[in-house]
Amino acid sequence: MSQRHPSVTSYAALIACHECDTLSQIPALAPGRAARCRCCGCVLLRNPKGGLDRSIALYGAALILLLLANAFPFLTLEIQGRSEITNIFGASRALYNAGMGELAVVVFLTTILAPALLITSSLYVLLGVRSRRPLPGLRTALSWISQLQMWVMLDVFMLGVLVAFVKLGNMATMHIGISLFAFVGLILVSAAATAAFEPQLLWQQIGYRGGKQRAG
Amino acid sequence: MHFRKVNSISTTWAFLIAAMIAYLPANLYPVMTVVSFGKGQSDTIMSGVIYLFLHGDWPLALIVFVASVLVPLLKMLALAYLLISVQRRSHLRKQQRTRLYRIVELVGRWSMVDIFVVALLAALVQVGNLATIEPGVGAIAFTAVVILTMFAAMHFDPRLIWDKEENSDGVKATA
Repeated sequence: MSQRHPSVTSYAALIACHECDTLSQIPALAPGRAARCRCCGCVLLRNPKGGLDRSIALYGAALILLLLANAFPFLTLEIQGRSEITNIFGASRALYNAGMGELAVVVFLTTILAPALLITSSLYVLLGVRSRRPLPGLRTALSWISQLQMWVMLDVFMLGVLVAFVKLGNMATMHIGISLFAFVGLILVSAAATAAFEPQLLWQQIGYRGGKQRAG
Repeated sequence: MHFRKVNSISTTWAFLIAAMIAYLPANLYPVMTVVSFGKGQSDTIMSGVIYLFLHGDWPLALIVFVASVLVPLLKMLALAYLLISVQRRSHLRKQQRTRLYRIVELVGRWSMVDIFVVALLAALVQVGNLATIEPGVGAIAFTAVVILTMFAAMHFDPRLIWDKEENSDGVKATA
């Protein structure tokens, strides 16, 4: 029995590049190294430093920050003695109230639901693989994760906050809420978590279809 | 190992053409209307960028201009070019075309920034009858452009770029 969390990818893999179909024999990768396709240059397999534990820690932190970011006021606006407080959910609620339900759904999806799903499903898969328990729906969750990543638009939302700040700066006073700090932290931590997370490696450990988990 | 995307070319064309159609109302109709002291002032995507250039700071205006004007346009052109070159079985610059696809896939989501701005402004500026900001029809069309081009990029299979070479070499591509 080898060590529980191997520091190099445990066995050489044969991978077909998902961008050009070239077959490559991938050697065992040292931590922090990545293998690229020799034909098109696409990243085939990475072995992020820190292994499973680092991704679990980062996604755990991201979950806490996500809760904080949604629990507290995000921005406060003051015009002539009247103030308006909003949180992240307020953005989609305002669109809904203005009769733009479709837009409200898109904004809710990209700023709240997709990040929440991505973080929880990543944690679920990581904990499942780490504890070596065949939790139900591991493969479904893992296949969601790469689909979800594109719809998480926290960084884009942050740019929107900056623009809104500049646009309203002339006519009103703006105050930053606690939640905005949590939000910036969430963006940084999720970026680090994404970098520390390699679905391909997890697929190898779960096994692609039906079969039992591979023994280490 | 990933399965080939089914009907990649026609599905991508469908989403792309839908996005091109939605692009017109997205730029012609206002994305939001500022109502203050009874007066209404409408902003389209472009006039919002111009306002930022004049009243905000230009680096931010430049970012917004790239994200909401250049990116959707270039993205649609790039996807159309990729589709046509694949259909004509072009041999040219396969690596660069693959890279182009990668950039298109990566950069598209940033166009949503204007929609988030409208949503935030609408949420913040609801100060009774002093001033309100209402999202406009253009915002829906613009979101449609962003989402449809994202779907188009998702359905394009970059392996189509490399297909001809494998066949002419006599190497059978196995998925």
